[in-house]
Amino acid sequence: MFKKILQSLSKSQAAKVPAAPVSKPAAETPKPGAVLQKISKAAAPAASQTPEEMCEIAPKMPKDQIHARLKLLYRRYNRSASSLDPKIRQEADTMLDAIVKVREKFFGEI
Amino acid sequence: MAEYVGIDLGTTLSGLAYLKSDGNPEIVPNSDGERLTPSVVFFEAHEDVKLVGSPARDGGEPDRTIFQIKRHMDDPEYLVEIDGKKWTPAEISALILSKLKRDCSKIIGDINEVVITVPANFNELARKSTIAAAEMAGMRVKRLVNEPTAAAVYYAHSQGVKGRILVYDLGGGTLDVTILQVEGDNIRILTSEGARHLGGSNFDDMLLAAYAEQYTKQTGAPLYNDERHRRRVLLATEDAKKMLSKLQRVNDTVANDKNDGLARIDLTRESFEKLIRQMLTRTVMLVEQALDSANLKAADIDHVVLVGGSTRIPKVKTILEKMFGKTPKSCGNVDECVALGAALFAKKSARIQEVCNASYGTVAMVYNAKTGEEKLMNSVVIPKNTPIPCSRTQVYQTSEDNERVIEVDITQGEDEDAKFVDIIGRITLEVPPNRPKGCEVAVTFSYDENQRVRALVVDKQSGRSREVAVSYKGAGVLSDEDLKRKSAHLRTMRIE
Repeated sequence: MFKKILQSLSKSQAAKVPAAPVSKPAAETPKPGAVLQKISKAAAPAASQTPEEMCEIAPKMPKDQIHARLKLLYRRYNRSASSLDPKIRQEADTMLDAIVKVREKFFGEI
Repeated sequence: MAEYVGIDLGTTLSGLAYLKSDGNPEIVPNSDGERLTPSVVFFEAHEDVKLVGSPARDGGEPDRTIFQIKRHMDDPEYLVEIDGKKWTPAEISALILSKLKRDCSKIIGDINEVVITVPANFNELARKSTIAAAEMAGMRVKRLVNEPTAAAVYYAHSQGVKGRILVYDLGGGTLDVTILQVEGDNIRILTSEGARHLGGSNFDDMLLAAYAEQYTKQTGAPLYNDERHRRRVLLATEDAKKMLSKLQRVNDTVANDKNDGLARIDLTRESFEKLIRQMLTRTVMLVEQALDSANLKAADIDHVVLVGGSTRIPKVKTILEKMFGKTPKSCGNVDECVALGAALFAKKSARIQEVCNASYGTVAMVYNAKTGEEKLMNSVVIPKNTPIPCSRTQVYQTSEDNERVIEVDITQGEDEDAKFVDIIGRITLEVPPNRPKGCEVAVTFSYDENQRVRALVVDKQSGRSREVAVSYKGAGVLSDEDLKRKSAHLRTMRIE
């Protein structure tokens, strides 16, 4: 039922970018190993957003959906919190704070 | 010679245990008479000596003192520079391991082969760095074992329990939650989840901020102006934190180093618990994640076991008791059970079934023939929690006509959304020209007992293949040649 076509990060990104002028250096060869990169950065949360907005919790969302959403976000951002990129780590920490605040608001403090 | 030795190379404390002839593990004290050695290294300026442990921690020269090096074991670029010489995290850790080996071998005989514990979510590089550190210290690593697994092995051994055990391991720098099934001597890990940079030192930092705020409020001056004084106050906050696990209220008096006066700090357990509440909520969410990963509910857990110094905080016990409806148990000294379990693991490893700690896969455009949908996604080849050692293969297709080079990204992470996984490697394979798109390529991932991953790509039409172990390059990563040279050098160093 599923057909899986290999897509490497460098190829899929190169396909989206118009041909580089001759004077530009060729695409950098990534270092083998380590965390080479994230596919693309998730949008950074804006400082003015409320925790609910950051977590994309709609005003009338049912509690079970909020719970599922928070679980998904926690898994994602807990992982990002150990990134070697300080910027990603900081964003993840901000998101984890927001996730905890939303959880406390809708489900009470521990 | 000690046959079965386990080492807990911790963020804040390290310990070594061995298996006695009666089959029970025991902690071996260091030459300072301590059962556990602070994971701190001090580079003495006047004598050619490296101090490790309490003398290093209490030395008071922050520019020459290295704390919590374990937090950097996964950073390929991290280096510490002392007197113009650059030290990798593995080298600093090797000094700590050398101290343990030298001190403890005076009591139990030569130590040549060890089991070393690591956090469950330590990545490839951190695991490799840990093995390198042990080799530099003159020890062969028989196995790496996840800290909560080691603790559970000790708990099962000492308590004789069976059933499903959830280990909540809140140490100085990390939180690990592991669920395992114990039947006699046979242990099967069901899942491990971890949170980096979440541990007792985060609580210390929060208390330090509260101290600093109080001090400034009372005196109008900053509590510390340099790293040396900050460290001193940090030790005081750590002591206060420990006292608050025993008492409801603690009073402290602090001063800065500029004679701006004294400030009295009043702390209650309630205010401390309020301070760290949101961090503890994160730990609860990790427990829920572990239960989800193992498809279990809280009621399915037979025993909740506490490991790590931060589980002495009463609120930790309270929230887990509320969550599971049963009192969490400590396996003796929460600081020592990981090392004790590692010594047991050295003998019993064949009876312990561990699992893959993360999912590994590649990036693919996945077409659903039924719905017609197509999506660029992380295509998992080895799912998290697959028993190890293991090997799995998936077949993909090439995307372009006349594709000369196949590139396969190696991803680590469970998320379907490729934005939320790490690309930890890439394999390129040259293939013959003039082929249409849609040629089949088999991608195989293998995962070994030390939780290290290898990837194999085979072009099915031409039979060409390429296999790689995920390897790392960076200023802070040692080559095999570096490793040999530095091992020889380290053996000549004075380490006290």
